[in-house]
Amino acid sequence: MSDNTLSRRELLRMGGLTVVGATFLAACGKQANVPESANIASVGEVPPTTGLPAVEVTDEVLMRTAASLEYNAIETYELVLSSGLLKGDYAKLSDAVKRFRDDHTRHADAVNGLAVQLGGKAVTCGNARIRSLYIDPAVKLITETGNPDAGIDVIALAHGLENLATQTYQGVVGLLSTSQLRAAAMRIGADEARHAVVLAQVLNPGYGAVGPTTNETTGKPNVASVPMAFGALSSVQVTIGAPNAEGAKTTLAMETPSLNSLVYDYVSC
Amino acid sequence: MHDLYVKAIDSGRFTGDELTMLEQFAAHHLAYAQSINGLIGKDATNQRNEGVYSAYASQMTTGSAAYRTLQTLENTLVATHTDILSNLDNHDAATLVASIITVEARHAAVFGVLPSMNLASALDNTASSIAPASSATVETTVAP
Repeated sequence: MSDNTLSRRELLRMGGLTVVGATFLAACGKQANVPESANIASVGEVPPTTGLPAVEVTDEVLMRTAASLEYNAIETYELVLSSGLLKGDYAKLSDAVKRFRDDHTRHADAVNGLAVQLGGKAVTCGNARIRSLYIDPAVKLITETGNPDAGIDVIALAHGLENLATQTYQGVVGLLSTSQLRAAAMRIGADEARHAVVLAQVLNPGYGAVGPTTNETTGKPNVASVPMAFGALSSVQVTIGAPNAEGAKTTLAMETPSLNSLVYDYVSC
Repeated sequence: MHDLYVKAIDSGRFTGDELTMLEQFAAHHLAYAQSINGLIGKDATNQRNEGVYSAYASQMTTGSAAYRTLQTLENTLVATHTDILSNLDNHDAATLVASIITVEARHAAVFGVLPSMNLASALDNTASSIAPASSATVETTVAP
């Protein structure tokens, strides 16, 4: 076959390329009754979006976030006191709960004072994301009909929140820019750790419950006053709510505030 | 701190779960000493502060006195390590000391809730720092 002739295969290939090219050009062209847009062609109209403000994780943001967590704790303890959940043997814990609430109020004032010193605004409400992710679902589980352990469950929630607060203060030590702020954070973090011990001893009392132990039936770790040699930064597990048919309760995993739950400058109560 | 726990353990006054708890706390403090010495490197002293040890050891005359002494020293260490943190620029050292402070506070609180609950004892820390740079007065006498 001579060089200037086309084989059957080449002819088919050229025909295919022509069809693909025509389809591509047609897709790029105007279409009837469709508004022109600088964007990629789409069906329907997309409403305009408002982007989030550019934010930065600063010392001030970390202090504002800490204050919001303190208010989460204050709100939870207020709920415990007003809900009547502390009944029977747990009624004697009212004084401890009041003391914890007052400590958290003092902590909130302290970290808000630091936030203001750094040029920010004080935060006087709970962290909305922590509340909606952890506290509201937990309270719902605790107060649902058929939960025979509401009194102890609310202590378990408080214990979880105190551990979360401890870990938050310990965690921000790695983020804060000055040694003075790091020390201020840990003065409060140590207080939260003490709260956690008192509540842990209510949930699982005695010398045998100080260190880590395992529930032989469930295989899960028991509540411990001093679970590890070094302060952990892992998720905090809280087991609460009415038992299911197998007798198992719901376990919630709570994490310290991350980028989505920090209280940036533009966030207000 | 580790050696004071060992003194309590070796006293024969504690058995069972109490003894286990004291052994755990002793192991924690040994881990802290080793971790801090690891960060310090060749300048680590690898030995106890003899003045602090002797001042506190002499007060551990009974089981309850030993608990009070250990709680006082745990509270003192919380204050001291927090004081040190306020002068510490090294990031790794700061995060390590922070992870130690929370557990020392837990140790101190345990002595406030066991054998019986005393909320103020568990939660209040009136101890002063004994860090060398601290201007605070060194207090080594345990309240009765």
